[in-house]
Amino acid sequence: MPIRFEHVSHTYSAGTPYEYKALKDVNLEIEEGKITAVIGMTGSGKSTLVQHLNALLLPEEGKIEILDRTITAGEKPKNLKSLRGDVGLVFQFPEYQLFEETVIKDVAFGPKNFGVPESEAVERAKKALAMVGLEPDKFERSPLELSGGQKRRVAIAGILAMDPKVLVLDEPTAGLDPLGTVSMMSLFSKLNREMHKTILIVTHDMEQVFKYCDRVVVVENGSIRAHMSVAHFFSDSSFCKEMNILPPSLIRMKDLLREAGFEIDDRIHDIDGLASSVARQVKQHG
Amino acid sequence: MGNITLGRYIPLDSPIHKMDPRAKIMGMLLMLVAIFFPAGWIGYAILFAAAACAIILAKLSPTFIWKAMKPMLYMLVFLLVINTFFLKTGTPLFTIGSFTMYSDAIFQTLYIAVRLLLMVMITTTLTATTKPLDMTLGIEDLLKPFGKIGVPYHEIAMLISIALRFIPDLIDETQRIIKAQESRGVDLKEGKFTERVMAILSLIVPLFVSAFQRAEDLANAMEARGYAPGEERTRYKVLKMEGRDYILLIVCAALLAGMIWLSMRS
Ligand SMILES: Nc1ncnc2c1ncn2[C@@H]1O[C@H](COP(=O)(O)OP(=O)(O)OP(=O)(O)O)[C@@H](O)[C@H]1O
Ligand SMILES: [Mg+2]
Repeated sequence: MPIRFEHVSHTYSAGTPYEYKALKDVNLEIEEGKITAVIGMTGSGKSTLVQHLNALLLPEEGKIEILDRTITAGEKPKNLKSLRGDVGLVFQFPEYQLFEETVIKDVAFGPKNFGVPESEAVERAKKALAMVGLEPDKFERSPLELSGGQKRRVAIAGILAMDPKVLVLDEPTAGLDPLGTVSMMSLFSKLNREMHKTILIVTHDMEQVFKYCDRVVVVENGSIRAHMSVAHFFSDSSFCKEMNILPPSLIRMKDLLREAGFEIDDRIHDIDGLASSVARQVKQHG
Repeated sequence: MGNITLGRYIPLDSPIHKMDPRAKIMGMLLMLVAIFFPAGWIGYAILFAAAACAIILAKLSPTFIWKAMKPMLYMLVFLLVINTFFLKTGTPLFTIGSFTMYSDAIFQTLYIAVRLLLMVMITTTLTATTKPLDMTLGIEDLLKPFGKIGVPYHEIAMLISIALRFIPDLIDETQRIIKAQESRGVDLKEGKFTERVMAILSLIVPLFVSAFQRAEDLANAMEARGYAPGEERTRYKVLKMEGRDYILLIVCAALLAGMIWLSMRS
């Protein structure tokens, strides 16, 4: 069953002079078992949108269907806790949520809250920390002594250890080093492939969208501007131009080659394929 | 929890917003002193009317004041409970078993509630209509005469303004941390005692960490821009008292005098 938003709107600080309508009549269907990218300019409402998925924010109007549950505007959501266990949300800048004495305890905190016994929670925590690539010698350190990037990994592990069915990540790689970014994104991709997790990633990085995601949702000014497959979205640079997005380098490269008179197939989606196609044409016309 | 309004500046265009911060601060102090005179219900009715006028003039909505007042309600309920158990004067109202409720318990609580409401109305009007920066300038100017006897007025003013500046930030930060921990299954409303303690801890620790981090960042940013306390500095904005500022002061002083008179008469 897909995740469905129906006519969802959300207003911050309603009834005060700071009132701000951050989501307007959002209709959206997110397929299960896929990786969906949520993109859009700063302040467009991406974080607001994804915080509805585990009922941290409740819709002002409309309803949301997720994992056999329905969240309806104006109603108190039922089984909130089980929803939050099933939908793991990693916040933008999650490093500020660490508080336990040791890294391992902090990661085990989530599963313990959802009733996992202590020993199993610690096991899960170790596994999750290994997944995010934190060295075992840091497990017993205080999370506050870690670097920013290491804290980020611990925070992400804290959600992974809960073993949620749906994983929502709000800019998980912002501020990570390039290698760390690649390994983090590969991890999400692996979780999706091998454990069939539904994954939503909020990101500003089009290379990531292009390389790791199946679907893309474009948020603009509180509304859904577009929702389509990544392949379709990047088939040429016209969508990107329309939405003021700088396309990934491969797409730009394809554009340049086309301008230079090469025949480039829309289906080429990696640099090797592009290189061999160009090489072939050069040889033919050589 | 959402949308705590206490201490927040509301950018509107009103005569109160335009007033000199020194006049507003002095006016507030006069009014706060006035509240503490036991002037009886008539006195409080007058003060309430005055505060309400100020709020209307400032174009603030009553819901805004109500929201600022809301956190105090818990305190009042607590107070009512304490009072019902310990205040055994006045007329007995009703009896349940061996327990009798006396009228003074209700009156005392109501009395404090009214004072608290007035205080919230007045202080909120000040903070909502005065930019933190103007507030600092005002406080600094008002404290300046005490500089001669060694009061570090500039530092005090800076301290207060930074505190005011950070209240909304810390509130936002708290809400962010609450959300992050709720995502990890923290339940702030229910649960066993040990779970509740953990829940509170999971908020307080990150909040302190981020508050200290902010303080350090701010200190570094200020030093990087050459701030040194005690140094002579010029001002970008020069405060000037105008007719309406004097009117405000006169009105507030008159109210205080009125309250003193009323309380002496009774
Ligand atoms: N707690 C809040 N109170 C009032 N307004 C808010 C609040 N949180 C966000 N907003 C406003 O709602 C809008 C959408 O915010 P949101 O955080 O969803 O943006 P975003 O797309 O995630 O941006 P970014 O890419 O910078 O993370 C912004 O204009 C923001 O100013
Ligand atoms: Mg965001």
